[in-house]
Amino acid sequence: MEMGVLVTAGGGADSALDESGLWTPSWPVLGKTVLQRWVERVQCLGVGLVSVVDRNPHERHRVHTMVEWAKEGVEQILLIALGSYAEIDLQDLIRFHSEGRRQVTKVFDQQGPLGISLLDRGCILANREEANQDGDLPSSRYDFLGYVVRLSSTAKYRQLVEDALEGRCGIQPTGSQIQKSVWIDETAQVDASAQIQAPCYIGPATKIKAGVAIKGCSSVERNCEIDLGTSLNHTSIQPNTYVAPGLYFRESVVDGTRLEHLARGVTLDLGTAGLSARIGTQARHAHRSPKLALVSQSARPDAKAG
Amino acid sequence: MTKPPPMTVKRLPEPCDKASRRFFLREIKGFVDNSHRPRLIVDLSAVEQISPESIDLLLECVGHAERGDGEVSVAGASPETGVILEITQAASVLNMFPSVLEAANGRELRDFESWQPRYPGDRAV
Repeated sequence: MEMGVLVTAGGGADSALDESGLWTPSWPVLGKTVLQRWVERVQCLGVGLVSVVDRNPHERHRVHTMVEWAKEGVEQILLIALGSYAEIDLQDLIRFHSEGRRQVTKVFDQQGPLGISLLDRGCILANREEANQDGDLPSSRYDFLGYVVRLSSTAKYRQLVEDALEGRCGIQPTGSQIQKSVWIDETAQVDASAQIQAPCYIGPATKIKAGVAIKGCSSVERNCEIDLGTSLNHTSIQPNTYVAPGLYFRESVVDGTRLEHLARGVTLDLGTAGLSARIGTQARHAHRSPKLALVSQSARPDAKAG
Repeated sequence: MTKPPPMTVKRLPEPCDKASRRFFLREIKGFVDNSHRPRLIVDLSAVEQISPESIDLLLECVGHAERGDGEVSVAGASPETGVILEITQAASVLNMFPSVLEAANGRELRDFESWQPRYPGDRAV
């Protein structure tokens, strides 16, 4: 039986909540985005048809794709709204759907729908308009009790990163595992004096300079530079980000010049102060005051903690 | 009765105003040189997000105050300034308070009844 999978980017069950901060689905989780991880899992089903479309409600692309696939003879379409990371056994979902009487099966966890539905061809052809609003169609309920994170905010993103590094979910970081719970890509450059404390992740083409300390489930994604003596604790650095020397980050996410401090609930721009930059679009090495550097050297609270 | 250590409350000059910056530092130095264990409270309530130049200035104040066995407190920092002071680790050499009043906590107003401002911007607490 032929099957198609439609992954809708940019929203999900909780996408209406205005608590997202800096969070964007384009952020990688230890080397790959959630979208990439979904696509990989779907490909394990041996499905040939996988399409990623925008979730814009005015966009007719999604329903058009579904109808076209149905017309071409695709028997089932799995619809995944990228609002969560859920380790669903897709084979089991398909089996459950096949055993049911409804033409639509929706996946729920204890909090409600996860934005994942399996639809039959007949239902799509019979309800071409409603297929874009699958909430209105009669459906079976598939209750999922496994690992789920609803990616609605930066805090949820950090939860997923920490769960992955602690082995509480099935996400496998890219790169080589050089010791227990420490993954460093082979193309990363890590100075010998850097303190790397498990669990943590360092992505491809990233430079970790002398005296840097990384600990507490911190992650540094691809093509970043963490300058001399900076400390990261429970912090994620997004791709293509330069971080100035002698700084101390905790419970934060830095994406280019933007920082979200989760413990303080503050989002701000670090670029004007020269504390971080987007690699490739701005001066890579921002100006740092020598006095700040001196304080950083003498006052780092846990530089030797690793 | 032991005389309480002298205290002054200041606001930072504009980051780019070098003349005001020099004047500000001269004031601080004068205050510290003529005091034993001076307490300087810097009122940041009017600062939205502190600049690197202003952090430098704060650190110079810390240096002066330490020479007189004194201390520097900052009061009324915005959440953004609080984060900047934390990540630059300037917070580790400063005492942080939500307001000037709380920074001066423990001091009774009568201690300052005879206090007279010497410079524009000085405030008794």
